[in-house]
Amino acid sequence: MNQESTETTAPLQKRNPTMISLKDVSKTYTGEGATEALRSVSLDVREGEFLVILGPSGAGKSTLMRCINRLVEPTSGSIIVNGREVTSQRRELRAVRREVGMVFQQFNLVKRLSVLMNVLSGRLAYQPLWRSLIYSFDKADKRIAIECLARVNMEHKAFQRADTLSGGEQQRVAIARALAQQPKVILADEPVASLDPKIARQVLTYLKQIAGELGITVLCNLHQVEYAREYAERVVGLSQGRMIFDGPSGKLTDDILQQIYYREAEAGDDHDV
Amino acid sequence: MTTTFERDVAATLEIDSAHRRSRFSKGLGWGGVTIAVLWFTGDQIGMNPFALIEGADHMWDFLTRMFPPDLSYIFFLGRGLIETIQIAVWGTLLAVMFSIPLSLLAARNTTPLIMLPWFTETWQRLGLHLLVFHMTRMALNCLRGVNELIFAMIFVSAVGLGPFAGVLAIALHATGMLAKFCGEEIEGIDQGQVEALQATGASKMQVILFAVIPQVIPAFISYSIFRFDVSIRSATVLGLVGAGGLGFSLIKTMKLFRYYETATCILVIFLLVGMSDWICTKWRRKVI
Repeated sequence: MNQESTETTAPLQKRNPTMISLKDVSKTYTGEGATEALRSVSLDVREGEFLVILGPSGAGKSTLMRCINRLVEPTSGSIIVNGREVTSQRRELRAVRREVGMVFQQFNLVKRLSVLMNVLSGRLAYQPLWRSLIYSFDKADKRIAIECLARVNMEHKAFQRADTLSGGEQQRVAIARALAQQPKVILADEPVASLDPKIARQVLTYLKQIAGELGITVLCNLHQVEYAREYAERVVGLSQGRMIFDGPSGKLTDDILQQIYYREAEAGDDHDV
Repeated sequence: MTTTFERDVAATLEIDSAHRRSRFSKGLGWGGVTIAVLWFTGDQIGMNPFALIEGADHMWDFLTRMFPPDLSYIFFLGRGLIETIQIAVWGTLLAVMFSIPLSLLAARNTTPLIMLPWFTETWQRLGLHLLVFHMTRMALNCLRGVNELIFAMIFVSAVGLGPFAGVLAIALHATGMLAKFCGEEIEGIDQGQVEALQATGASKMQVILFAVIPQVIPAFISYSIFRFDVSIRSATVLGLVGAGGLGFSLIKTMKLFRYYETATCILVIFLLVGMSDWICTKWRRKVI
């Protein structure tokens, strides 16, 4: 895969440039039982970084991710991805989404389409509508799709229907679909929560490889501490919508974990952050 | 410890039996009301089994006049038979074509997707897509609510006697049914697949093509085949109002008191409906 990652960036800089920049992002879900899912989160992620967002369920991990590609509209704050403000302007939004691949807990493959078709659907944003109307893709797109499948070792199942695959295989295809977008960023929302440990490690290894070899920034939501320790370079700890830790996984002490996972016990006094 | 546990169990059982008692008395009350209402309405519309028994000899008279059916009349029915099938095929086909866009409008989760792009944000904020949804549903209910025969009468006056009026009548009524069913089917799809496609930056139309349609296509085909079967049945009576098909021969022979020919018509209709049912069942099983 030809990754043109250095095209817009300054190669002289020793550390990679910032890819994602969140400033004071908040999200309050309206309606009954209005919840503050995110409370003024600020975060900078560099190019090619493998970042794990750790936290219990309901901490706002998913919301944080969905704000980045605007599947969720943040209530306030600004988000810049690859130098582009993620506005709600339709045209701009699609351009940003094209650069941001997403991997889901439930894989979300289109079950009745073939594996290849699913991966090709990652190329849709590069395509004119008339081609989509006849479900056709050009050769270059097919090439990219097959290469992406090969990267997750799934090219031998290209013509099988997506719902005939096992969970782990489906998630690998989903990763291939995200890769087919030739993205700058991949958001993985609990990618291993419905997989057994062996397959989970395999999937996380693929994701980590992607960050390392292709220079794609990978944000990965997890709720299991052991995976975070094993795979993450940098961990962000989220609890009740607030960022309460940001550092290398080595600094993830028991005390901090206690804070991330058991803050509910002292819910109510959240003035201390 | 155990005593408190026993007490908890006893309390739960007590609540459960209270629930049962209240459910039973409620059931009794509603059952009584239902029977009373049914009795009253039955009386109002003059339901009387004795009338049927007393009228049995008239019925017998009618049936004997039909017997024996004049089977030679079958040769005059060929054209009507073919026409009936043609009406059903075209009517259903048009309905399928109309109902593809309409079913997308008639589903809450796709109305925002097919709104014109430059309005979307405003539309969605004001909930106007729901207005579109409700209006579409209402229009479909109107189409579904009007019987084919009534549509046929309207179209006969518009395009003249003949099968084309029948085609239009079936197309409209079937559109109402197909689009509503498929709209409901679309509302039941897995939204995750839609979200995944949106996340790739695909346009709304592309999302519909690659995430919505693959999920509903089997149901849509199945409904269409079922609707074709129903259309065949409807097409057999459209001739009563002059909209083509076998119904015309049916009404003509009856008006001329040639009941033995009417009997042949009915036999042919039986055959047609049976065949269509058989074929459609096989066909649907193959698709699913």
